[in-house]
Amino acid sequence: MTQNSDTRPSEYHVASLVASCILKDVEAVKKAITEVDDTEIHATSAEGKIVFTIEGTSYKDIDKKIDIIRVHTGILNLSPVYHQVLDEDQERKLAESDKADALSYQIK
Amino acid sequence: MTFNRREFIKANAIAAAAAVAGVSVPAIASNLITSSDITKLKWDKAPCRFCGTGCSVNVGVMDGKVVATHGDIKSPVNKGLNCVKGYFLSKIMYGKDRLTTPLLRMTNGKYDKEGEFAPVSWDQAFDVMAEKAKETLKKDGPTAVGMFGSGQWTVQEGYAAVKLMKAGFRSNNIDPNARHCMASAVGGFMRTFGIDEPMGCYDDLEAADAFVLWGSNMAEMHPILWTRLTDRRLSSPHVKVAVLSTFEHRSFDLADNGMIFTPQTDLAILNYIAHYIISTGRVNKDFVSKHTNFRLGETDIGYGLRPEHPLEQAAKNNGKTAGSSTPIDFEEYAKFVSTYTVEYTSKLSGVPEHKLEALAELYADPKIKVTSFWTMGFNQHTRGVWANNLVYNIHLLTGKISTPGNSPFSLTGQPSACGTAREVGTFSHRLPADMVVTNPKHRATAEKIWDLPEGTIPAKPGYHAVLQNRMLKDGKLNFYWVQCNNNMQAAANINEEGYPGYRNPKNFIVVSDPYPTVTAQAADLILPTAMWVEKEGVYGNAERRTQSWYQMVEAPTGAKSDLWQLVEFSKRFAIEDVWPEELIAKKPDVRGKTLYDVLYKDSSVGKFSLDEVPEDRLNDESRHFGFYIQKGLFEEYATFGRGHAHDLAPYDRYHKERGLRWPVVNGKETKWRFKEGSDPYVKAGSGWDFYGHKDGRARIFALPYEPPAESPDEEYDLWLSTGRVLEHWHSGSMTQRVPELYKAMPDALVYMHPDDAKKRNMRRGDLVKLISRRGEVQTRVETRGRNKPPIGLVYMPWFDASRLVNKVTLDATDPLSKQTDFKKCAIKIVKV
Repeated sequence: MTQNSDTRPSEYHVASLVASCILKDVEAVKKAITEVDDTEIHATSAEGKIVFTIEGTSYKDIDKKIDIIRVHTGILNLSPVYHQVLDEDQERKLAESDKADALSYQIK
Repeated sequence: MTFNRREFIKANAIAAAAAVAGVSVPAIASNLITSSDITKLKWDKAPCRFCGTGCSVNVGVMDGKVVATHGDIKSPVNKGLNCVKGYFLSKIMYGKDRLTTPLLRMTNGKYDKEGEFAPVSWDQAFDVMAEKAKETLKKDGPTAVGMFGSGQWTVQEGYAAVKLMKAGFRSNNIDPNARHCMASAVGGFMRTFGIDEPMGCYDDLEAADAFVLWGSNMAEMHPILWTRLTDRRLSSPHVKVAVLSTFEHRSFDLADNGMIFTPQTDLAILNYIAHYIISTGRVNKDFVSKHTNFRLGETDIGYGLRPEHPLEQAAKNNGKTAGSSTPIDFEEYAKFVSTYTVEYTSKLSGVPEHKLEALAELYADPKIKVTSFWTMGFNQHTRGVWANNLVYNIHLLTGKISTPGNSPFSLTGQPSACGTAREVGTFSHRLPADMVVTNPKHRATAEKIWDLPEGTIPAKPGYHAVLQNRMLKDGKLNFYWVQCNNNMQAAANINEEGYPGYRNPKNFIVVSDPYPTVTAQAADLILPTAMWVEKEGVYGNAERRTQSWYQMVEAPTGAKSDLWQLVEFSKRFAIEDVWPEELIAKKPDVRGKTLYDVLYKDSSVGKFSLDEVPEDRLNDESRHFGFYIQKGLFEEYATFGRGHAHDLAPYDRYHKERGLRWPVVNGKETKWRFKEGSDPYVKAGSGWDFYGHKDGRARIFALPYEPPAESPDEEYDLWLSTGRVLEHWHSGSMTQRVPELYKAMPDALVYMHPDDAKKRNMRRGDLVKLISRRGEVQTRVETRGRNKPPIGLVYMPWFDASRLVNKVTLDATDPLSKQTDFKKCAIKIVKV
């Protein structure tokens, strides 16, 4: 998922991705993922799929991290699934005006 | 448990990815907080704007703007996944240079072909357009008027355009850009089966034991289908993947058998496989005797170049009989393909014998279910229809067709190449539902549905895409409207055959586009266009799945959809402006009416009232014209196919479904056509029924290897293949405007073998010129990276408007399909 907004210092970004890997390379790919800052692996399937997240402060930041991982030769396919931006300045303001939940949502 | 905000959205992200990967995650992440977070975001479904896969995406709108998209978990196509283009989909509408006003070339406030672009109102734009169209019609008649459309048009837009051109202006000079990507596939289907589009569906991906990619880099061009294929391969160890291409690409990463072949020799490999099946006694004789017959096709059919070209002068059968064939029997066919021994084929193609044998065995072994995929490698081929015919031969000889996992499958490049270009019939020779203008009965059917006098639709096919460019240059096509494509970048040989026609002083060129593409900049009038979810529409994907979406946001003020433009423009023509008196006399009640009245408002298109448009929905076109125009166009169009094996469901149902695969009979979609039990049109007791041909049989064609139009020689010593990349969709007019995608792949490089670079004293990153007999283009050398060409071949993508590789390509086209071969021509490369 993507959101459009200008980059602001108060932004928190989280993206989740699925990497389909050549089975023998799964461990190498996992290592490559965790070597990138603010990544976390949440699950790995027997078929070689790795579910992981990347956190960051801007689109550019997230995108740069995806690019580092994407080129790994053990990855057959890298699918970005979800991306959400939390504007924490905005959140704070909304909370003050009692609209704290207005910007949050979940997938259908 | 209390989540803070960050933890909450992270949990959502993890849960979404885990769901699409089919894995479980710790409870803390899967335990989603739900509806207390009521949101201002309104979510709705739409098919993706890009390729022919037809992924469904959920689109999130806030304050009148698309702010979020994600893969639709309910979609049977993509099951929640995105590719990187789909991931950034919401940004395509918000490029900084989005057009919002018509722009006309003017000098001193008046239209001037040599003038500079200046803003004008829609009224002024249509005034000039109508004046030019009428002037052209009066002076040179309907054949001087033409339109170049799109496999990205919605079904309704394509249908409205066909009606305007073929019935309104009475010109068959309408063709879609799908001519460049799908025409050979269409030709192949029509010739072998007598009916267009794949018999199988994406469910084959989970059922096949082997996949063969013929000139298709699915890993980059169809990433979501590639993910499904990858899943199948990795979860079932017995599954094999064979990949054939003229250079190594990302799809080779998964290949058990990767094969690099010399350009054009795929024809020989296909015949070798047929020979292997026969010589090893693995023909499915029962299937072949009941469901096929054999034909010997015409050969030496030329290369679709201008008639004065030496190759056309030399060709014996490049006239009207190029597509003809004569009946033969199995023995004659077996003898024909026996030339293609493994030794001969290996030598010709450069593929080692053991690899060819392993490939042939996948098809020959009766226990292996095989799905073949192909895209531009087959279709953009001077023998593209043949290549399509030859792959069907293999599936037919073995009876591996129309059952789960046994599937010859032609993939598409555009979101509605099937739905709009092919099914609606926006080609110069076609009418809806596979009908053609040359057949009097088909014309009569169309005239009846359209309630028009007999003789309205001209019988002669119009100019196809390549011919349109040539006729513009020659001054025979003078009023030309381009919608929803970027042909100045996409067509071959633009120096000699593209640009001169647009700038020919005799011609008036209109280009409708959301962005100032190179095509728009070569025009005389640019019309700013609404796109994707700024309008309501329907797309049809590669597996016959028809999908609809509602308008979700307003277009930027000033931009209007292609549909609005077509229909609003039709108001400018009184029927007397466009039809001769003898035609009007056959239906006097059209007197005094406009094309808008006759073709749209007073026809069945206008019969659905505005009340049917949901109140809470945007629908700019319907509210402007005063009736539910998208429904009217769809329902009238659907009349053509219902009861004729192209059945569509009622329009409203599509808004409730993630698409349905036609024919939809008794409310049920069809997964595999031509097979008893899964296709309602198959005659009971027949097993298989290829009902596109009257005898119910598919054709197996004897067709040889013939050399390409141009091969490397001493001076032009390299093959050039063009193509696409993962990050950009086609000419890049949308994806180049997404900063993340631009950054990931900003420029088109020429990929070459390190030895070829060394031989020319070049290094990675060097600035070089690609030179052909037709033009030159400058770029930089890439010797590493994802594409690894063999010695003697280079690859350059065509998405980059600043480096137009089509200045050097050759406009050789398949004489049968009229589709250009962008995959092979001869060039040299020199250092700048």
